[in-house]
Amino acid sequence: MNYFLNLLMSGLVIGTLYGMVAMGFAIIYRATGMVNFAQGEVMMLIAYMSYTFATLPGVTFIPLLACVLLAAIVLGLVIEWAFIRPMLGEPMFSRVMVTIGLAVVIRSTVILIWGVEPTAFPRPFGSAVIRFGSMALYPGQIFSLATLAVLSLVMWLFFRRSRIGIAMRATSNNETTALLMGINVKRISAIAWALSAVFAAFSGLSFCLMFSLEPEISQMGLRGFPATILGGLDSVVGGALGGLMIGIAENLAGGYLGRGLKEIAGFVLIIVVLMIKPYGLFGQREIERV
Amino acid sequence: MRTRTYQTSYSGLVALSTHSVTWVWVGLGILVLVLLPTLLSSFGLNMLTAIFVTSVGILGLNLLSGVAGQISLGHAGFLLIGAYAQAILTTDYRVPSLLAIFLSGLVAAVASLVVGIPSLRLKGLYLAITTLAFTFIVRHIVLFAEDITRGSAGMPLEALSVFGFSFKGDTRFYYAALVMVLLFILMTLNLMRTRIGRAWLALRDHDIAARAMGIELIRYKLLAFMVSSFYTGVAGAMVALQTRFINVDTFSILISIEALAMVIVGGMGRVHGAILGTALIIFLPELLNISFALVGDSFRTLMADRIYEVKGMMYGVVILLFLRLEPEGMAGIWRKLKRFWVQWPLSQ
Repeated sequence: MNYFLNLLMSGLVIGTLYGMVAMGFAIIYRATGMVNFAQGEVMMLIAYMSYTFATLPGVTFIPLLACVLLAAIVLGLVIEWAFIRPMLGEPMFSRVMVTIGLAVVIRSTVILIWGVEPTAFPRPFGSAVIRFGSMALYPGQIFSLATLAVLSLVMWLFFRRSRIGIAMRATSNNETTALLMGINVKRISAIAWALSAVFAAFSGLSFCLMFSLEPEISQMGLRGFPATILGGLDSVVGGALGGLMIGIAENLAGGYLGRGLKEIAGFVLIIVVLMIKPYGLFGQREIERV
Repeated sequence: MRTRTYQTSYSGLVALSTHSVTWVWVGLGILVLVLLPTLLSSFGLNMLTAIFVTSVGILGLNLLSGVAGQISLGHAGFLLIGAYAQAILTTDYRVPSLLAIFLSGLVAAVASLVVGIPSLRLKGLYLAITTLAFTFIVRHIVLFAEDITRGSAGMPLEALSVFGFSFKGDTRFYYAALVMVLLFILMTLNLMRTRIGRAWLALRDHDIAARAMGIELIRYKLLAFMVSSFYTGVAGAMVALQTRFINVDTFSILISIEALAMVIVGGMGRVHGAILGTALIIFLPELLNISFALVGDSFRTLMADRIYEVKGMMYGVVILLFLRLEPEGMAGIWRKLKRFWVQWPLSQ
């Protein structure tokens, strides 16, 4: 039972990372109808930048977070302005390929600048274990769980209550109609990219606080896909739930079914899920007319 | 003035070549390729062989992505399956190596059904992600099925031999690769002018409209997947035969991206584009090497230490540049150049 609970808990913690990555994918899909294959690489770039900020003398956690979020927003806006907006109106294949090209370029640049060796990230919350009954959690893991909870709540409210959130839903529903209703579609796309970079920043920070700073961060982008698909590509809060589910499923598969299964459990799961529900658990079904 | 646009009969529209003079040029081109080994060093020869071998796979990916319009990020997986099938069939089951090449293609085609069938209900991006998942799964299976694949140790291969004639050595394998790529080019050109090829084009341009015109989507999507992975499987077998040793690490995700870069750089859906794109992407690291050598030694050491990253960056930049500046790729540049000379001095 204890073994099971520990597996569940560490799965939940990994799942928060997948969840944040999935939310980053979903918000861009929601606003622009495309998948950003560079999400993991953006996460990697922001994580390395935050390492540079964190090693500056006298930086505490709150200024660090502020700097990182600001950098993330700027990065998201720059990517959108330089690479995504000029591709508007091109076929989807080309637009997605741009993000794939971007992904390789960012990953290579980061490795060329910062090197490949894993580096220990500063631990602003200390590294003492906090116990809850039979389970033990590190402060970084608690940070990650709390961040995901707050982000999901904020996003849920954002899409329900805020003007921009509702405008974003309208845009994803029908771009032309949204344009006619006076929504600035270009601004919506820019906001979506900035928000997605913010999710990348939080997931990158959480990763660094739990593990260390290493190029494998970019792999989280690919590993977050199952969560995105499970939650439904267009559901932001669904992505968070999907992430938790994939994290738990992976850990249970690794713990009970044997070695090697941990890495592919998520992918096997989504192939099965997609056969039954092609738009994920929370995704909206697209109805097409000729 | 020569034109390919206006034809008076349907057979003229689907003919392999509209002008008989094209065959003369093709013949001359093949003759040059046959005579090249006498002129080239073994380094240049190996590079040409690599271009031929890779072209076979790129022709397949081009059929799927460029002609039928389905994005695949999983072709590294099919290449891996083809290479391992070749190794296992020839060493463990003593299948003649020429037969094994085509069997490897078939194995990859059958494996593609594993992705193809769930992806029938998916479109576009969902499909891209499923194929990506497939690559991960294949790599893991190969690593952990040690009894069959020898796991992470990799497998050595015997050289290609046909009826007792061994294609060992650079020059001999060059000819084998040349024959193979010519065979597959001919096959692709013929496939594209049949009902199947036109159905794929319709599927790419508007799948619902295609369906309304009587094209069975399920059948043609699956067929595109299977044919494409057959090509890639054969290419995998040839890659294995060229390097004579295979390992899971050879077939990383970067290979899938490299392959997509080749398709985009070449021009989507064009056969000569696929070949030109492959050639350009394979030549690029060499060009970089030469230009870095001119700049100085510090860049050379960078190139040696971080070759994987430099290559990745190069593929990314090339993809971005071509998508922004020349979406039609090398095939588009070729077309414009040709039109310029045909219409000269009236060209604009």
